[in-house]
Amino acid sequence: MLERYLQTVVTDDAPEGQPAAVRERLKGHFPPGAVRRMTTLGMLVGSALGELGPREEDAVVYASGYAESRTLEGFIDSFPTPSPTLFQTSIHPSAVQQLMIGRQLSVGEFLPLSGGSLLAFHALRAAFLAPAARVLLCGGEEKGTWLLEFGLASDRTFAFGAALTRERGVAPAARLQLRRGEGAGELALAAWFDLLNGRAGFSGFVAPGWQLDLEWL
Amino acid sequence: MSDPAVPIRVAAYGCVTPFGDACSTHAALVRGECALRAQPVLGGEDGDLVPLALMPGRSLDETAPPAWLESVRSLGASIFGHAWGAPGRPVFVTGSNFGVGGLYALRRTGDLKFAVWGAPPTCTEQLRLELGWGPDVSILTHACVSAHLGLIEASRAIETGIADEVLVLSFDFLSPFVTGGFHALKILNSDFPAPFRKGRAGAIGLGDGAAFAVLSRDRGDWLLSGQSLNNEMHHFTSNRGDGSGFARCLETVSAAARGRPVWFKGHGTGTLDAGRLEVGAASQLFPGAPIVGWKGSLGHTLGSCGLVELAIAVESMRSGRTPGTLGGAGEPLHETVALESFPNGAFDGVVCASNAFGGAHAAFLLSHA
Repeated sequence: MLERYLQTVVTDDAPEGQPAAVRERLKGHFPPGAVRRMTTLGMLVGSALGELGPREEDAVVYASGYAESRTLEGFIDSFPTPSPTLFQTSIHPSAVQQLMIGRQLSVGEFLPLSGGSLLAFHALRAAFLAPAARVLLCGGEEKGTWLLEFGLASDRTFAFGAALTRERGVAPAARLQLRRGEGAGELALAAWFDLLNGRAGFSGFVAPGWQLDLEWL
Repeated sequence: MSDPAVPIRVAAYGCVTPFGDACSTHAALVRGECALRAQPVLGGEDGDLVPLALMPGRSLDETAPPAWLESVRSLGASIFGHAWGAPGRPVFVTGSNFGVGGLYALRRTGDLKFAVWGAPPTCTEQLRLELGWGPDVSILTHACVSAHLGLIEASRAIETGIADEVLVLSFDFLSPFVTGGFHALKILNSDFPAPFRKGRAGAIGLGDGAAFAVLSRDRGDWLLSGQSLNNEMHHFTSNRGDGSGFARCLETVSAAARGRPVWFKGHGTGTLDAGRLEVGAASQLFPGAPIVGWKGSLGHTLGSCGLVELAIAVESMRSGRTPGTLGGAGEPLHETVALESFPNGAFDGVVCASNAFGGAHAAFLLSHA
């Protein structure tokens, strides 16, 4: 059985909906010169991750199925004269890099994942397997426009960040246990976000042969 | 990252490039052949001629299903073992493109057949079904160090006992999406790449490629150790000018090598600053080690380069001959840059390094078990 403690949890369900409103709310979290080029997801994930105070010795695990959907749309629409800026920021894992480069925060281990119905499980497993004493698990999605019409972007906008440690510490927020078992299930990223955002407990299978227990303390 | 207590063995490997499988690719590189050809940057929509290495007969323009699918199918058919993706036999799929060419084609044509290949989750799901894998298929994507992340995650799965064998598969096939992007950044232009050589301006070539490795606790003739990552987070497309990101990543590998004689397979895309920094760090941490880079022939296979070049490195060790650095005619950046192929029997292993946007660095040591 693998066990970790959630020390800090930050969630943002982007209640404004529209990118411009998200940008307006979060712009104070970033240097003024950087905001202009940031994506919506970059601002959301960057704000959540930034609140965790990333350090060089941390491992960062980042999960997003569709990543910078709107920038991707913009880059494709910029052809036949493709935009170099949109190309750069459309590349997974740009959302985390926007924060880290803005703050000049190097990090040893950075594991960006994509995925579908098992993405949250895979990100959790990567976080549990990382040897660092503290793992920052973050992720999110931004709602697409024309990509969404083809099922190639998220229909929701959200972001989260969580600090996981091996040691219990003084006042952990929750305990996570991941263990093998007979059964099947799945845990997509939005479902994991909803658990964190609602501080909801969970006990069940999150992938074939893998069970997760999330207990808020 | 410290070395795992459990030895990580490479039980099987393979790749496909425009030259063919790992054996054919290695042989072509030893002969000094170049797979790069000047081709329109936007395929059928034309544009400047740039160096691209495409699979034989494949157009840069996307088809549905993708023309590259057959290459991945044949690679998949060469992977022995069963029940990949079942509990205890996870698969890690890596790359930086997946089917992104499908998105470009979808937008240009409106043809829905392209949609299912367009995003990493949907493309990987199609591939999972094609190759008959179970559901435990993780996707790791971090630009040009993606394949290294798959190897690290696979190694950890073995080390912690949640798997005895793990499959890592990586694929990157070019499309106007990615060639147009690199062209916009002005590092893909009409010049052919000249990795690890002095010159007035740097340039890269891009190439198709796919590869796999089966990592195992118990079997395999090759050991993977000293796996290392470092992320500078200094700039989106360039590295710190002091080379500290390269050095920090390679220090872990140097410790794993413990002074044994090795050769160094660098990233070597053909950009000048990165080449200079990489050669500087490699020559300092592995004094006297011959430095080679193969992207002057194969082009940069992007997120898959770490695994494609691992397969060629194993083939080099197996055959006893290392292909030299191909591409260009200028003076090498350092006396240890090997321009010709050389016998490698006197070496205990090879350091394989890759770099990516964001100042990401990854490396490992491959040695005889």
